[in-house]
Amino acid sequence: MAAARRAAASWFRLAVRHRSSQSQAPPHGLVAKTSLSSPPWPEVKLPDPVEEAKYHAEVVQKVNKMIATGQYGRLFAVVHFASKQWKVTSEDLIMMDNVLEAECGDRIRMEKVLLVGADDFTLIGRPLLGKDLVHVEATVIEKTESWPKINMRFQKRRNYQRKRIIVNPQTVLRINTIDIFPSLS
Amino acid sequence: MNQNILFLFQHFRGRKNRCYKLAVRSVRRAFVKSTKARKEKKRFLRALWITRIEAASLEHGLKYPAFISNLLKSQVELNRKMIADLAIYEPKTFKSLAALAQRRRQEGFLAALGDGKEPEGIFSRIVHHY
Repeated sequence: MAAARRAAASWFRLAVRHRSSQSQAPPHGLVAKTSLSSPPWPEVKLPDPVEEAKYHAEVVQKVNKMIATGQYGRLFAVVHFASKQWKVTSEDLIMMDNVLEAECGDRIRMEKVLLVGADDFTLIGRPLLGKDLVHVEATVIEKTESWPKINMRFQKRRNYQRKRIIVNPQTVLRINTIDIFPSLS
Repeated sequence: MNQNILFLFQHFRGRKNRCYKLAVRSVRRAFVKSTKARKEKKRFLRALWITRIEAASLEHGLKYPAFISNLLKSQVELNRKMIADLAIYEPKTFKSLAALAQRRRQEGFLAALGDGKEPEGIFSRIVHHY
């Protein structure tokens, strides 16, 4: 009697354990949701690359047509010149704090163009735009010197003071034209 | 000697604009402060550009570090002065820059996730505590 009960109890325990491991086992590959199971940024889905390529080609064609037919108003460009970046339009004046080896009245072409934009489109260079795409012309107008800047060093109670007057050469340029050509791909 | 400095202290406040002895001291301080300020102007302007870019990029839903880092990763080398000027005077161009940075950010997230498969030889198991 007792042996039968013990046998029954052990059979019942075995049955319970077998059933519990079967019913509560998760499907293979599923990970519990913890603080590190998913990345902290929201899930992102990029658009289909084939469709995207089509859309890009369309946009490039449209912009090319617009440039070819001349449907832009005033163009602005971001030019890297004299180790500074300038946002430039036509009929603009630019003053550099150094000497340019060109006489007054010389036409200069600025080649490092970072960005060109009009009202409806912008062409962003990575980092520069091609020379066959943009053409920025400027003329040297004036070569002067800056106002006398005063550099003074002074330390109190030590009878130390030094005064130095700095006069920098400056060049003034006028941007004549910004041209773009429909050579996008 | 007096005539050299006369034009310099006429806009000062108090007896400094009339009495030579006081004027000399304040003119000297003015020169020293202007030399130091020429260095600090560069720091100040850069901080100003950064706050402006941050405000403009927040309008488009991006924070400043994300915006700048993703722009640099997409090989666009505009400096902060230019981006601040574009944000003020060319809002459409700034919007396109923000969209470029956002797209590069999402591509970076996808690249960081990788395949989505676990490395070989490792199994994950959910532990039940009874």
